[in-house]
Amino acid sequence: MSLIRWSPTRDLAAWPSDIVEMQREINKMFDNIFRGERDESFASSSWVPAVDIAEHDDEYIVKVELPGVSKDDVKITLESNILTIRGEKKQEKDTKKENLRRVERLYGTFQRSFTLPSTVKNDKIDASFRDGILHISLPKAEESKPKQIEVKVK
Amino acid sequence: MKKNVALIRRTPGAIVKRNEIVETLVTPVADIYETVDAFVVRLDMPGTSNENIRLSIDPDRLSIRAVVGTLHKEGTGFLLGEIGQKAYHREFNLGDGIDLDRVDAVYADGVLTITLGKTDAMKSREIRVN
Repeated sequence: MSLIRWSPTRDLAAWPSDIVEMQREINKMFDNIFRGERDESFASSSWVPAVDIAEHDDEYIVKVELPGVSKDDVKITLESNILTIRGEKKQEKDTKKENLRRVERLYGTFQRSFTLPSTVKNDKIDASFRDGILHISLPKAEESKPKQIEVKVK
Repeated sequence: MKKNVALIRRTPGAIVKRNEIVETLVTPVADIYETVDAFVVRLDMPGTSNENIRLSIDPDRLSIRAVVGTLHKEGTGFLLGEIGQKAYHREFNLGDGIDLDRVDAVYADGVLTITLGKTDAMKSREIRVN
């Protein structure tokens, strides 16, 4: 009797075909990850930039992480109190696509929407871009600012 | 390396908002591509600056560290906090053929681009067929 090297996949032939199919898919996924290849279905999926929303006495500040996104590729709209930030991250033009060794950064379109309190002064919204972070300042209307009323004790 | 920064803000009125910001060490994502005479590494590192990035290189290893300045005023109350307080750190092992005298780095729009020049022996050459 000779020794036969155990193969984890040999017995799979007897398995239901959908399990084998699933294994094939998982293998493909791992192959793509470790070879650093860009799976098109992954690359085209939209990414979600991280957002901070801070509240101050007189304004809300929204910060969006958009590294490598051009100012011209970002669009901010405000429609019935819904603030929408949408845009596209494009691969840098000088990237030698045929000589990519590793691709971890995500490209493509993104969109995020937030419902604002009705107390925001719609016409005073201001946005700026610095170091890959988009800053949006949304001033509060006068009546919503916290007021301090001094009560004199007699 | 980890530092806890707790920001507590009291809003006017009865509600007390407590927001804890914890500084986390983030591994920035990178793309790498090769040209005829260099390797180019591109990292997404939003929110830092030239002064806050520390790059060090030796024949085996490229090390990138950066701190992100505080994005918000002290005592800010948050409605959403996904960015948080963070620092970046990533290291790459280097193979042979990098010319340490020809390493260049540029930070722009939240992206750090490092160009690692190849030594002459590593540069690809076109060979003419006679």
